Amino acid sequence: MFLAVFSPKGSGEVSPDATLMQQLLRRDVGAFEELYERHSRIVYSLVLRILRQGSTAEEVVQDVFLQLWRNSAQYDLSRPFVPWLLTLARNRALDQLRLKSERQRRREEQTEQFPQIASAAPEYEQALDEKRRAERVRLLIGSLPIAQKKAIELAYFEGLSHSEIAASLKEPLGTVKSWIRSGLLRLKESLRATS
Amino acid sequence: MDSQWLAAFKGKFTGNIVNSNDQFRELIEAYAIGSLDAPERAQLEAHLASGCDDCEKALQEARWLVSQLAYLAPNAEPSDMLKGRLLQTVRAEAAGSAARRQVVGGAGIPSWLWAGVAALLLFSLYSAWIAHKMHDEVAYLQQQAKIEQAERERLEAELGAAKTQAHEAMIWSDPKSKKIMLRPKDPKMPDLEAMWHPDMGLVVRGWKVPSPGEKRMLQLWLIPKAGGKPMPSMTLWPDANGKFSAMVENPPDTMSDTQALAITEEPIGGSPQPTSAPMWVGGVS
Ligand SMILES: [Zn+2]
Repeated sequence: MFLAVFSPKGSGEVSPDATLMQQLLRRDVGAFEELYERHSRIVYSLVLRILRQGSTAEEVVQDVFLQLWRNSAQYDLSRPFVPWLLTLARNRALDQLRLKSERQRRREEQTEQFPQIASAAPEYEQALDEKRRAERVRLLIGSLPIAQKKAIELAYFEGLSHSEIAASLKEPLGTVKSWIRSGLLRLKESLRATS
Repeated sequence: MDSQWLAAFKGKFTGNIVNSNDQFRELIEAYAIGSLDAPERAQLEAHLASGCDDCEKALQEARWLVSQLAYLAPNAEPSDMLKGRLLQTVRAEAAGSAARRQVVGGAGIPSWLWAGVAALLLFSLYSAWIAHKMHDEVAYLQQQAKIEQAERERLEAELGAAKTQAHEAMIWSDPKSKKIMLRPKDPKMPDLEAMWHPDMGLVVRGWKVPSPGEKRMLQLWLIPKAGGKPMPSMTLWPDANGKFSAMVENPPDTMSDTQALAITEEPIGGSPQPTSAPMWVGGVS
């Protein structure tokens, strides 16, 4: 069944980002600048939301883009670039946020130098451009009950675990678990819907 | 499994079919967002390590899905300074790695190519200081020179060709600039002139220079002292009358570290290292 859900982009079709990443291997500064122009806003927005402090956020964004530049050979060109970049940026920002805490050690166990990310984007990724997909994400999560939305934000932007979220929101653990899962499944439905 | 596959293919399922035998499937989304507490996480990781394809594929999609939550962050714009800092670092590393490739890799410049440089230098050791009054705009332009390369490029585009010409003219006329004559290897070619100002940069000018070959252009190189490899610099393109005037605002090396300037013909866009013999050479210090 996953053949249907996950299909690599049409054979031979290379995304502009993958092309730019290839050019980074040849130390192409222009390609780096273009990648930065294309994605620095969303990366910075995400990191700033996590860290809430402009100068620290810029340091993390700088680290993320330098990692792209210095370790571009480690990036698997067949993987969807933007989700991968966003995962890398989130991991870095959460590391910064939770320096030396238990949460940090826990996360490190599952974080490699480059993050794990889908080896192919779901085919419905192409149904919406980035802007419309962003609108869809905001709309759907915004439509959830406030406590459920809060639980998802605490997990994603603060890096909290189920039990930490339950304690923070004073809600039963089982409720928190089902909120996070059902919220993400609803998001998937929303992004899959073609209209 | 076949019926599930067909159903998914027809779009009736949502890709998260839960196998009743697989209680791990419902941990996948939380694992992807990172919110599983330690015991559940350890159990799921053991299960994934056992090679459950369904869970592995579901995890890939869940990771993609979780990454989309980034769009919940309010839109924010990083400062121009960040871009400037990054580009400065990246440019320096690109130049460094090009130089390392020349030293380390077998693809370096053949030594015979540059052997002629020393000989040509004997003919070209000529330099002079020209006294001239400082222009009012020098202070402004010196301040500009400190701003990162990217910011500078953007400003320069806005300032336009007139300002660039003014900058070049200032370098050309400033008493601190050093004049460097570049002598051609081919006696039928004209001499070129360069002016190097320690703060404002380097200007190279030529007249009656024939057009380079198709898809070729001229490129300037800085040849360091102490046997270093040539540092790539700007590319040059004569106009229809064979005239050009071009400026490097921040040469990669200081004048005192540079033995000579050289110009070669390179493919459009320039090269990280020379691919042809120098056509002009001028001694600096
Ligand atoms: Zn499983």
